[in-house]
Amino acid sequence: MSDPTSLMFTTIFICLTVNIGMSLYGIFVRPSLVKKFIALTIFSDTLNCFAIALGFRRVVGSYPSIAVLAALPESPEQLSQLASTAVDPLPQALVLTAVVIGLAVYMFLAGLILMYYRYYKTTHVEVARGGRVG
Amino acid sequence: METLFLFIATVAALLSVVATYLAIRARDMLSAVIFSAVQSTAYAIMFYIFMAPDIVLVYIPVSVGVLPAVTILLIKRTERYER
Repeated sequence: MSDPTSLMFTTIFICLTVNIGMSLYGIFVRPSLVKKFIALTIFSDTLNCFAIALGFRRVVGSYPSIAVLAALPESPEQLSQLASTAVDPLPQALVLTAVVIGLAVYMFLAGLILMYYRYYKTTHVEVARGGRVG
Repeated sequence: METLFLFIATVAALLSVVATYLAIRARDMLSAVIFSAVQSTAYAIMFYIFMAPDIVLVYIPVSVGVLPAVTILLIKRTERYER
């Protein structure tokens, strides 16, 4: 904990956890559907950022440059150096897919919220259960 | 050097916490959308520092460009203030 790098990583993970908590509060407690929509986008982005942060590997020395294979055909030494310095690519592939699919899902949800407003003349969720706005 | 980059990521994470709090607490939906875009910008910085520049290339047009535009269109069609 005395190491500033581990302190920074701890701060980043605590911030992401706090973001998850606040966006879940927005999804479950806030009455407006548009506010639930915004909180849902924040929740999805926070989970994506969590996955990327879990796949990250800190390599001392070669930080600002990304590990790539520069020569073809590659030698086994270059392959082992790449495998020992590169970050995990699997969460990046999953998050790339999740971002694109999430965009389509958000478009669908926006259309549903628009239909709700045209039917009930409000975006308050209690109206659909017969409740009173306010 | 890497401590500097991680410090930038930490500052971006703290900024995202503040932006998320303001976006959840705002009664005006338009300011909530703008704070959500600020939070997405902070996440883009974090993605770049966590060595995922391909995510950044997809994430910035989607989450800072298209989603606030769609949400602003939705707010324009529906109601602006939360009751």
